[in-house]
Amino acid sequence: MIPENEFLITEENMYSGALSCRGCGWTLLARYVSSVMGPKTVYVVPACCFSIIAGPNPMNLLKGSVVHTVFAAAAATATGVRRALDRQGKTDANVVVLAGDGGTFDIGLQALSGAAARQENIVFICNNNGAYMNTGVQSSTGTPTGARTTTDPQGKKLPAKNLMGIIEAHNIPYSATASPAFLMDLKSKLEKAREASGFRFLMVDGPCPPGHKHDPDRSIELARLAVETNYFPLFETENGQFNITYTPKTQVPVSEYLKHQGRFANVMQDESNNGLQIIQQQVDQNWKHLSSKQNLN
Amino acid sequence: MVDISKLIEVRGHARGGQGMVTAFEILAKIFSYRYNYEVQAFPFFGVERTGAPIQAYLRISPEAILTRNYIYQPHLIVIFDEGLIDQTPVFDGLYEEGSLLINTENPPEFFKGKAKHIYTVPATRISVENKLGSKTLPIVNAAMVGAMLKILGADISEATEIIYEEVPAKPEANEKSAKTAFRQVQELTDEHYQPAQNGQTPPVSKEPEWDVPFWDKPMSINKTGNWRVIAPKYEELEAPCTDNCPAGTDVRKFVRLASEGKFEEAYEIIYQHNPFPAICGRVCPHFCQQNCNRIFLDEKVNIGAIERFIGDKNGQYPHQPETVENKEKIAVVGSGPAGLTAALRLRKMGYEVTVFEALPKAGGMMRSGIPAFRLPPDVLDKEIEKIERQGVKIITDKKVTIDELDEKFSAIITAVGSHIGSNLRIGNDELLIDGIEFLRDLNISGKKEQVKKGETVAVIGGGNTAIDVARTVLRLGTKPTIYYRRTRQEMPAIAEEVEEAIKEGVPIQFLTAPVRLKNKNGRHELILQKMELGEPDESGRRRPVPVEGSEYSVLTDKLIKAIGQWPDPFVFSGKEIEARQGRLNEVMADSKTPVFCAGDMAWGGTVVEAIGSGNEVGREVDAFLKGKEWKKPEKNREVATHDRINYRYYLPTPGNPTPVTTPGNLTNNFDEVASGLTQETILKEAGRCLHCGECFNCGNCLNYCPDAAIFIDDDFRLRIDYDYCKGCGICVRECPCSAIQYVEESSLAETEPKNELHQK
Amino acid sequence: MLQFETTEMQKTPRADLLTRHTKKVLKGNSAAAIAAKLSKVSLVTAYPITPQTSIIEEITNMIASGEFDAESVNMESEHSVFAALIGASLAGERVFTATSGQGLFYAHEVLHAIAHMRLPVVACNVGRPSFPWNIWADQTDSISQRDTGWVQYYCESSQEVMDTIIQSYRLAEKLKLPVMVVLDAFYMSHTSENVYIPDQKMVNEFCPPREKMDDQIDLEHPKAFGGLVGPDMYDKYNRLYWESIRKVESETIQLGNEFDKTFGRKYAAVEAVNIHEKTEKILVTMASVTTTARQIVNRHPEVGLLKIRLFKPFPKKSVLSVLDNVSGDCAIINIDRNYPGDTEGALMQEMKRALHGTPYNIFGVYTGLGGRDVSSKTIEKIIESDFDKTGIDGVIWMT
Repeated sequence: MIPENEFLITEENMYSGALSCRGCGWTLLARYVSSVMGPKTVYVVPACCFSIIAGPNPMNLLKGSVVHTVFAAAAATATGVRRALDRQGKTDANVVVLAGDGGTFDIGLQALSGAAARQENIVFICNNNGAYMNTGVQSSTGTPTGARTTTDPQGKKLPAKNLMGIIEAHNIPYSATASPAFLMDLKSKLEKAREASGFRFLMVDGPCPPGHKHDPDRSIELARLAVETNYFPLFETENGQFNITYTPKTQVPVSEYLKHQGRFANVMQDESNNGLQIIQQQVDQNWKHLSSKQNLN
Repeated sequence: MVDISKLIEVRGHARGGQGMVTAFEILAKIFSYRYNYEVQAFPFFGVERTGAPIQAYLRISPEAILTRNYIYQPHLIVIFDEGLIDQTPVFDGLYEEGSLLINTENPPEFFKGKAKHIYTVPATRISVENKLGSKTLPIVNAAMVGAMLKILGADISEATEIIYEEVPAKPEANEKSAKTAFRQVQELTDEHYQPAQNGQTPPVSKEPEWDVPFWDKPMSINKTGNWRVIAPKYEELEAPCTDNCPAGTDVRKFVRLASEGKFEEAYEIIYQHNPFPAICGRVCPHFCQQNCNRIFLDEKVNIGAIERFIGDKNGQYPHQPETVENKEKIAVVGSGPAGLTAALRLRKMGYEVTVFEALPKAGGMMRSGIPAFRLPPDVLDKEIEKIERQGVKIITDKKVTIDELDEKFSAIITAVGSHIGSNLRIGNDELLIDGIEFLRDLNISGKKEQVKKGETVAVIGGGNTAIDVARTVLRLGTKPTIYYRRTRQEMPAIAEEVEEAIKEGVPIQFLTAPVRLKNKNGRHELILQKMELGEPDESGRRRPVPVEGSEYSVLTDKLIKAIGQWPDPFVFSGKEIEARQGRLNEVMADSKTPVFCAGDMAWGGTVVEAIGSGNEVGREVDAFLKGKEWKKPEKNREVATHDRINYRYYLPTPGNPTPVTTPGNLTNNFDEVASGLTQETILKEAGRCLHCGECFNCGNCLNYCPDAAIFIDDDFRLRIDYDYCKGCGICVRECPCSAIQYVEESSLAETEPKNELHQK
Repeated sequence: MLQFETTEMQKTPRADLLTRHTKKVLKGNSAAAIAAKLSKVSLVTAYPITPQTSIIEEITNMIASGEFDAESVNMESEHSVFAALIGASLAGERVFTATSGQGLFYAHEVLHAIAHMRLPVVACNVGRPSFPWNIWADQTDSISQRDTGWVQYYCESSQEVMDTIIQSYRLAEKLKLPVMVVLDAFYMSHTSENVYIPDQKMVNEFCPPREKMDDQIDLEHPKAFGGLVGPDMYDKYNRLYWESIRKVESETIQLGNEFDKTFGRKYAAVEAVNIHEKTEKILVTMASVTTTARQIVNRHPEVGLLKIRLFKPFPKKSVLSVLDNVSGDCAIINIDRNYPGDTEGALMQEMKRALHGTPYNIFGVYTGLGGRDVSSKTIEKIIESDFDKTGIDGVIWMT
């Protein structure tokens, strides 16, 4: 006896065998993206973990077309695909970018902004694991304060870029954050993104056991804690309307999220608690900002 | 020892993340810095991820190394993870005189035929002992460095400094690991080794099959199952409710069936262990409920109400008479829950069973001890009738002893219960009414004269009898007060019953014990003493300790004691025999028929314990008659305790308590106070079950598996495709009810199902 | 059997085909824009850069007015201009763009990607150099893309630009290789001259719509493109590339012949002017300098001219064929309007490579860099130069 709605993947459009680490958040995300988008989708992938995960020659992880492209210009390649398909009358096909935080926050930002400003009819999905994981954990501008990377061995001093703010400033029809722990929310946001037209953007929290230094079985638990601690709040902006999609029921201190991750070991072991306080302040400030934005509605 | 006077080429096999590449670099540094060797250490440059099989290479030479390619014919093969042996061709290309080092718990002999020189080291154990790595991926590199130093004939003390400096974390633990491994290497030289045995094949560069650069084959060509070091598996744990049921009822199962509206199937599940669902649904203290994990979320599942509903709903269940298949005849003395249960079990096993009951009606304590407002007699009649219908013969008004039954039967089960009230021993005991007798007289003969309307009645005790007596005399128009020497928390009576008694208007005096009784002008003067709680006694409850100088007295018309019951020794013809569960050997001396014992007289004191006792004695008698050795079955199943439940996956949902009415006018009102829940509510309540330890197809494992390695098979069951499961453990951690466990790889069957999606 | 030797290229159509052309005075950039339209390009990505800008302006204007049925996308950088072409070309469109100098440098990594994803992209480059800022004629930008795997044609006139673009789609789509059509800044891009525009029917006949290929996006048969390849496969794909690029020279000549049949103008990989047994010096040129050199050759019977039209892959067979009867004493003088930061210019390097094992004296001249005028006087000076004396290792920096 199967309660149908409990199984969120109705159509499995991802094969097993992915070259991803154990407990990879991104591969899980790919399952949901491919399931919601369907096989009539062209995925555009810049350099990132997914370039590897998607399959070395001659294999293809996804039931869908995949175009690997240069690091800096995923949104541009997606533009080309979209315009070509439109010209061929294949307007029902989805064009979806699957990029990491490097290909979104950093090197990919120009092309992303260009495509967003042109209102290209594509879905841009950023798996934000907060560092260049494919090359072995180097800092990106998406790397959060305190996180240790191989290029910030003492932990990053600066905060992560407010990418969602940048995205929102492009006045696109749909943008949202999502989490692999909150699958109903993720799925509904993917569906909204699929149904909207114009440039759509999703930033999804990307648990990464080797990069964040935690046991692979904790990936989902940590993604959930990221949301419950307001470290990674879930919200969306739909045609200008801002909406927090999940409000934690209890206040969980951010240390609950940080303590299981080796990347924050410096923060957690610091007896002065300075780093922890700064991070908690950032999180509180951001949540306050989001809440006040919500109240503007 | 490997000869290192010339170039030595080493090939290592490990999983990404185990630290092999670092290990080889450390070895290179040791041989360079300490022995002035030329060295090369490098990985197979790949993009494989944590857990995936990888290779690395090491060359050490006293002279210049004039090669830079991968190593195809190593002098030494080092295997960091034993699991790789079945998964990748690790032995390929080894030199005839070559050596093999394996991280294993097995002795070198185990690998005979794989190489001439075989070395083993328990590196995983050493690393785990030193807390290096995790369960899903032990980091064994330091231990392997130690072992390799040993077989390369190096000096470990020369190397420790380099190990200390080069490991990325936990230098002390790594150093210790290396030293331990150095000492624990075992060696075997096989003079009869034939190189052909290991199927050496020269490495072949694969010719590409596709000439156009596109990617159109399913990724599932790549089987990632060989990344796994520990396997998740769907394995049920015992539910705490089931675990706590003295009758052994599969509580979780009948609750699930009830939630699916399958009330008849649910009844059958209960009936396998308990022939009195309608009764237990009403009067059982529900040990199952007390152990319900839902308590840690909101409130326990009202299993009692579900059981009652199932019992009532199946009042007309068409039980068929059982056929007699065995020649042995069995006598059961006592028709209480234990006797009837044992009788039914044995009847179902094909024995002819006769039950002897001293009272005019069957039912034992269920009949004589439980008031009608808790258990209406017709409910009892119906369940006993069902047992009779299945072929159990009950002879009432027949008080027998085992001597009278001796040699007429092949086995005798005594289950006469505890119907003799304990004495208070405060003097003038003849003035006291015995609670259990009082209830029996009322229930069987309708005798009410012992108390009169308007009288005050003191009830001594804190168990169910005390409460039942108080509530009964209240209905007879008296004013009862209960005196109990501990607090409400320690009361052995069912909490709900205490609650109901208080609601009905029965005052309870706690922390007070009777010390003396006097007759005063036709009334009773009861002298009591205040108590306080001291240290816990053997029952775990805090012992009441008298408060000195706190004596006081009350005047009461009647005094009823209800402080415990004992079995009637009549059945043993007055012999002092210690009644206990199962075979009573000491009775054998003068009786030829073996005697067994069950029910309240043996252990417990509740209906459900008596049922459990009856089940057990039934099995024991059967085993005895079949000449089989019988041992009380041990509970060895792991229980899904509350710390193994992921409460975040359950929504807090208010429970549906059993509605209890407190009638305005209680006098002579023996109507049942508790009513059943409606079918609609039962469905809801059963739906609150957390399914502890049992997969309920919530789909979390499937939903959260990053590798799409979980699928639904043709029978709509969730399955793991071990060809692809990398063993990340997310399914284990995210399972709400702990229905997936980690198991050893070797315990997986070779016929585990495969996902058809990948079988093209 | 292919003849690698070529006769002089004609700029005007054969008389019988004249009526099927419209004569117009056009800038090189306009010729490129019109060629894109004639080739039935269906998708153009655009980003402005001097001196290319008018190409994409004219295209977008033609598209806006409806006379050119194509999609145009204004990208936010040249990098994205080319990256978008990856997507569009993979999806089966016939794509075009134009760029110049810094834009081409910026797109460098994408050029590699396009080539090795085997996409039939055609792009126009109006040559200009790098820093310090300079916008004038210079081939350093496209020369710097020598190793990207793109086929490169250097054009001498607006007519040649137009004709080469049309031919390039045939070549690109047949061999699955991208083609760069190069013209010089201002001397060509902004110089108005006679151009015979062929009628659309002729072009359609010569250059039919792009055929559907296996290795393009097919929603019904999804696959991936450009993903990770292991060493073995990477090796194989490069070998396949090598096999294709080796066909470019002969394919160029065949296409030139075929083009001649249809349009009445002949093209080849190289063009030889006045090269014979008694030739003492041969000027080797690319693009606009060739035109001026022609006049010098006309004045000096002992001097021949070798125009390199197909630069990448370098047409070694054609060059050797041209020199078949030329005496070993002949001096080969390469005029390089590019500075690859080396002791020798790109053309000289390539010619040395092609002529390896021949007795010819090979010399080089750096001239016309950053738009410096290369006049007939400059060329006179070049042929008068004594390279052995004044040259440094055979190279003269001509100021």
